[in-house]
Amino acid sequence: MKKLSRKQRKIDVKIGLMHRQGRSKTKNGHNNNNGSGFSGSDVNNWINHYKYNGLNISLNNNRVTIILPERLNFFHDYESTVLHLNAIRKLTKNKAPSHKAYKLGSVNFDDLKSISTSAALVLTAELSKWDDAVRNRLKPKVENWDPNILFNFYELGFFDLFKNKPSNIEQLKSATTPNKRIVKYIKGKCGDDQKTRVLKENITNIIGDNINKWMFLHSGLSEAIVNVSHHAYPERLGLSEVDKNWYITGSYNTFTRELKVVFYDQGIGIPKSLPASDVWEKVLSFLSSLSIAERKRDEVLLKAAVELDRTSTGESDRGKGLQDLLEFIRQRGDGYLSILSLKGLFKLEVKNGIESIKSEHFNYPVCGTLIIWCVTV
Amino acid sequence: MKTLNIGKQFSTDPIGRFRTDGDRSGETFREDYLKPAIESLESGEKLEVIIDDGIESYGSSFLSEGFAGMVKYGYITGDELLSKIEIKYSNEDFEFFKKKILEYIGKVKYNSKVYEPSKI
Repeated sequence: MKKLSRKQRKIDVKIGLMHRQGRSKTKNGHNNNNGSGFSGSDVNNWINHYKYNGLNISLNNNRVTIILPERLNFFHDYESTVLHLNAIRKLTKNKAPSHKAYKLGSVNFDDLKSISTSAALVLTAELSKWDDAVRNRLKPKVENWDPNILFNFYELGFFDLFKNKPSNIEQLKSATTPNKRIVKYIKGKCGDDQKTRVLKENITNIIGDNINKWMFLHSGLSEAIVNVSHHAYPERLGLSEVDKNWYITGSYNTFTRELKVVFYDQGIGIPKSLPASDVWEKVLSFLSSLSIAERKRDEVLLKAAVELDRTSTGESDRGKGLQDLLEFIRQRGDGYLSILSLKGLFKLEVKNGIESIKSEHFNYPVCGTLIIWCVTV
Repeated sequence: MKTLNIGKQFSTDPIGRFRTDGDRSGETFREDYLKPAIESLESGEKLEVIIDDGIESYGSSFLSEGFAGMVKYGYITGDELLSKIEIKYSNEDFEFFKKKILEYIGKVKYNSKVYEPSKI
């Protein structure tokens, strides 16, 4: 073993001190985060970068308050919506012991004036994850919430998440008559498929009638749940059972008669699950005409995963679940299905029986997979 | 003619591919219900499979593992299986699932995989 020189010893002590103080930096100026720097620095960098690029936050020492924007909606305000939701996920996951590491202090709903059903479900799922992480110590402060938002979240079952419920919800919600009715969200674990029957009952109750071709939606939901069990939370990630959830809800707009059913999981996303799946070789062969760079794009992989099922030659009988998701819309002959997974979108729209497919790339990822069925009833 | 009523004898909520997905999976249905029923048929006898009695719906993973799995694991050829079963339903929407079953049986390669139980 080589004896350390006095100079080397001084350098080592200095580096050690910097690590402990969270000031570790590599020569190129980036925080060294590979086990030697303070492990929250990635999240700090991310937050610091995006607070000048659309993320609305306030900081009190290392406590971050995320201030939700006026509108959360994956279609009209995708980037702002995803940015705020991802900030919650990143801060919730930040387990760094350093006192410099940013931690989620609170989420402020006061400016929020409208929220889509899918954004409400994802927000609820992220806050549920946070509440699980802090052992159910969260308490929502609803005094300054918009009444419609409060009613939406009340119907969604958002407040059931918290052991510490605000006391005056009943009073506040009675002041509203919104067009949109939301059914209580359901949180399930892998294999918890029978809960979809509860969703059906709840949706039927708010619409007041049975939903034609529901069986095909049931089939799609069942396959989505099976896919979560098989692919969304792989063993190699070593996740605890408490983290392996899926969420569903539905909403009905009494004015437009639009029914939406939304399914969300917080897993690795369909594009990332493909390389480990039985269908990966078929995906590669399916994409062989594309450049290597294009083959890595989430929207390309997502589209391949859906289309592959349809064009399968029978060499394998695996990978058929995603086509089941489309069947409800096809059977009804009108409506759309959107699958958002990581940075990709796959959308099937059917208008008067005519199908169109859209594929889109986003700059920011959805953390997991979000599936939305929308029909007019 | 023997009868296998999926809703009455197996489950009204069949779902999943493997036993690891739960006890209403395609693997469970194939190994514990369909295969013994096919094996018990006399020469020339048929098995009537009722697919819509109290059933909510089917996913592809259940149908392909449950029915096409018989061919994939070499228990029976596709043609032989199709000649031995008759898929029955009274709800017209289940025509879709009958077609799926026939499609999966028709497409899968005979004896293309060795069966290894997903869960003992």
